[in-house]
This record gives sequence, structure tokens and C-alpha cells, in this order.
Amino acid sequence: MSSSHFVPAQWLPKANWKTAGLLVPSLLLCSAVSAAPHRQEQHFKVAAHPVITIHNPNGLITVKAWTKSEVMIISTPASDRIEVDAEQMGNRVDVSTRELSDSVAPDDMRADFQINVPEDAELQIHNDAGNVSVANVLGDMNVETVAAGVDLEDATGYLTVKTVGGSFTCMRCAGRIEASSISGNFRLLDLRSYHVWAQTSSGNILFNGQFLPNGTYSLKNYSGVIEVRFSPGDSFDLSATSLKGKVNNEAKLTPPPHQRHFMPRWGNALFGTFNEGRAKIEMTSFDGTINILKRD
Amino acid sequence: MATITCREFLSYLEPWMEGERSQDVQAHVRTCAHCTSVIKDLEMIHSEARGWNPSEQDAPERVWTALREQLEQEGLIRGTIPTRQQAARGQALRAGWFAGLFPRLPRPVLAGAYLAALVAVAFALSGPVNKRVNEARWLKGTQISTSPLSAQLNFAEQNSNSYVTRSNPVVAASLHQNLAIVDNYIALCEKSVSEEPQNEVARDYLYEAYQQKADLLTQMTERGENVQ
Repeated sequence: MSSSHFVPAQWLPKANWKTAGLLVPSLLLCSAVSAAPHRQEQHFKVAAHPVITIHNPNGLITVKAWTKSEVMIISTPASDRIEVDAEQMGNRVDVSTRELSDSVAPDDMRADFQINVPEDAELQIHNDAGNVSVANVLGDMNVETVAAGVDLEDATGYLTVKTVGGSFTCMRCAGRIEASSISGNFRLLDLRSYHVWAQTSSGNILFNGQFLPNGTYSLKNYSGVIEVRFSPGDSFDLSATSLKGKVNNEAKLTPPPHQRHFMPRWGNALFGTFNEGRAKIEMTSFDGTINILKRD
Repeated sequence: MATITCREFLSYLEPWMEGERSQDVQAHVRTCAHCTSVIKDLEMIHSEARGWNPSEQDAPERVWTALREQLEQEGLIRGTIPTRQQAARGQALRAGWFAGLFPRLPRPVLAGAYLAALVAVAFALSGPVNKRVNEARWLKGTQISTSPLSAQLNFAEQNSNSYVTRSNPVVAASLHQNLAIVDNYIALCEKSVSEEPQNEVARDYLYEAYQQKADLLTQMTERGENVQ
């Protein structure tokens, strides 16, 4: 005799709903767990000056330097439809995100990374959307994005940043900086760079850093504002031209000692020397405003 | 002393890149900074091309057909394609200097390299024009160098648009938005150049805007390819 015979008939549906009530959330939880992004941690031993390349379509990439001769990669894919590959080839570690099927939704093509690298590492990062943040890495760096912003802190070496619409912030950077964008804003703060070349079309450029002796600083946009801040002790030779916009200047400049080879005949232009003129600053805009302001 | 002109030099560009360098042409290159710059740009593209990944998919054949025809029309390369009906045309398009220059290069990337080269050539052509005094000639010179460029970029834009619609919406939106910005700048620069044909600054901005558009279209094509 089966035990079900002892169960009143009116109980049966109730018992089934109860069971279902327990089962359904459990099943949903199980399926959610199986589809949840899987955090992955990988370690690679490297020698001096390793090269780390990262190719990611979308996500937050955070890179920090540490004192270990090791690269640690913690990746978190947004879905189980993509996979993060990380492999070592000699002293190079290549990290890339790839889709596991042909029909991956764009929202699923996202992976976040936390990466630790030796201080002297060289970085090559491609990340279309999201954000790229790098701190304390002293090696050369190349970052390319479309919409992703780029934040560099305490970086030295040869830094090249190219975005389409992403903003670029460089704090306490030294070395050589080359940055280009179409609509991204640039903020170059507390720099100690001897060479800065920054060009954005519709974005603003703010430069608030030291003008090192023999340094060259070229800032160019189409529209938007270019602003540089100077201190009384700075020494630079300045050229500022806005074809259809304004040039506002707070620096007491002495006129150039001799005629230059090239003197624009169009727009609003300003030339002169501040103190000994050790650094060279060139600012050019089409119809944007150029501000040369005293540092607070 | 140079014995050929810059325009004539363009017809010798293809053999030059293949290593055929007559004394006349060498003499011109020694004395002409603009043509030297064009050669350096092409050599740089060639050098960069060697490092690029050959496994990417090809763009549609019509893109390459049009690019090749445009190059021939502009006299940058010599016509080597027999007829449209030939079955082996696709391979023929890759043969010769054009493909020899970029032996391992995927076609979308090559399209971008071509557009960049076209901008460089247009800019180089504008050099001798700079020296002219007559404003009408300045304007004409600018139009000569930018009209094919503009047409080519518009053509590339049509193809790029079809690629990038398959990309991430955020990325696609950003690319389209920035393309609109660059197009607007091109229009404003062209207006400025037409008003002041001798304004070198406006001309520089115009060429840079074209360069940006070429770069952007390359990126759009590549992004589209990546999601296929």
C-alpha cells in the first residue's frame, strides 16, 4: 500500500504547489549560478620589462603596479557566453576576450579586469567601451579606445593614448605623452613631462603642470577650450593661435627677439617669451578659446 | 636638379615602391621634400602592415575593386586589370604593387591604410600649390587635392556604416556621433578655405579633418569585422 493513500485528496494539490514553490526558486537559483559570470584569477611569472597586451571590447580595466615579478589577472566576464584567454609567450602576456558562440549579444561582450603588473611593464591596451585605469606603471604604454575613458596616474615612459570619444586624464605623469581624440576631453594635471602632444577636435584640453626646460608642449583642438596654467617661476616661449576664437592671456610676455620664419596672418595669435623661454608651448585652435592663466 | 614634376612623380610611385628607380626620379626625390614625405609615409605603412594580423576577414570585393579603380584613375598605380568578366579578378586585384606593398594585410585594414595614404598624397600635392599667389589657383589646387579624397571617403563611409551597425551599440553610437562631428568640421573648414583660399591654417585643419575621417572609417570597418 502506498503512503499516498493516506493523504487526503484535498491536500494533494496544496502539497504539489508547496513542492513547486520550493523547487522553482531552487531551480532558478541553480540556473542563475550556472549562468553567473565566473571570476578567474591567473598568475604569470615574468622577467624584467614584460609586455602585457589586453584586447577587450567592453569593460573596466584597472591596472596597478606592484613589486612582484609576476602578472596577476583577475577577470570577470559579464556572461558565460564569452571567455577570457590569457597566455604567456616568453616575457609577454596576452589577454583577450573572445565570444564562445556566433550570436553573443553586445551586452554580454563585456569583461572587467583587475591586473597587477611589475612597475617596469609595458602595456598595450585596446578597450572600446567602459574605462581604462592605470596607476604607477613606469613602462611605455599604448592605450586605444572608442568610447572608454582613460585615466593614468603616476605613469612615466612613452605614453600614447588614442580615443574616439573617450576622455583622457593624466595625473602626475612624466615622460613623453601623445594623446589624440575626436571629442574626448583631456585633463593633464601635475605633469612633469618634457614632451606633450595633445590633439582633440571638439574636446577641451586642460594643462596644469610643469613646463620643463627644453620641453615641448603642443596642444591643439578644433573647438572647445584649451587652457594652460603657469606659475611665476615658469620659463617658456609661447605661441597661441585661434583662427576664429579668442586668446585670453594673463602672462606678461616679452615680444619675440627676432622675426619668426612662420607668422600666421589669420585669426587671433599671440607670441612671446615668459622669463627665459626655456620650454616651448604651442597652442592652436580653429574656433575654440585659448586661455593662458595664472596658477592659483 | 629635378627633371620631373610632383605630378609626374606619382606615375613613378608604383615602380619606385617595387624598387625601380630611374635617375630622373631619384633626382626629383632628392630635391622634393613633399614627394620624399609621401614615400616615407608609404614605407611606414608598409612597415606597419608587416606586423598586422592576416587572419581577419576580407571586405566585400566591390570595395577593393573601387579602391583599385580610384588609384588607377588618380594615376597612383597603373591599370593591370584586364576585364570585369575575368573570373580571377579577385586574385588579380591583389597582385602587383598594391598587394605586394601589403602582402599580409587584411583588406579592411588595407582600406584604412589606403585612405590614410590618400590623405598624405593629397596633402603632399597641396604643397606646390601653397606657393601660388593667385587665390583662384589656391582654391583650385585645394579642390584638386581634396575632391577625390572627399569622394573616396564618402564611398568608404557607406561601406563602414553597414559594418558598424553590427557592433556594440555604445561603440557604434560613439563612432557615428564622432563621424558627424568630423563631417561638420570638414564642412566648416571647406567653407573657410573657400572664403580664404590662402589660409594655411584652415587648409591644415581641413586635411587633418580628412585624416581623422579616414582613421574613423578604418576603425568602423574594423569594429564591424570583429563582430562578424
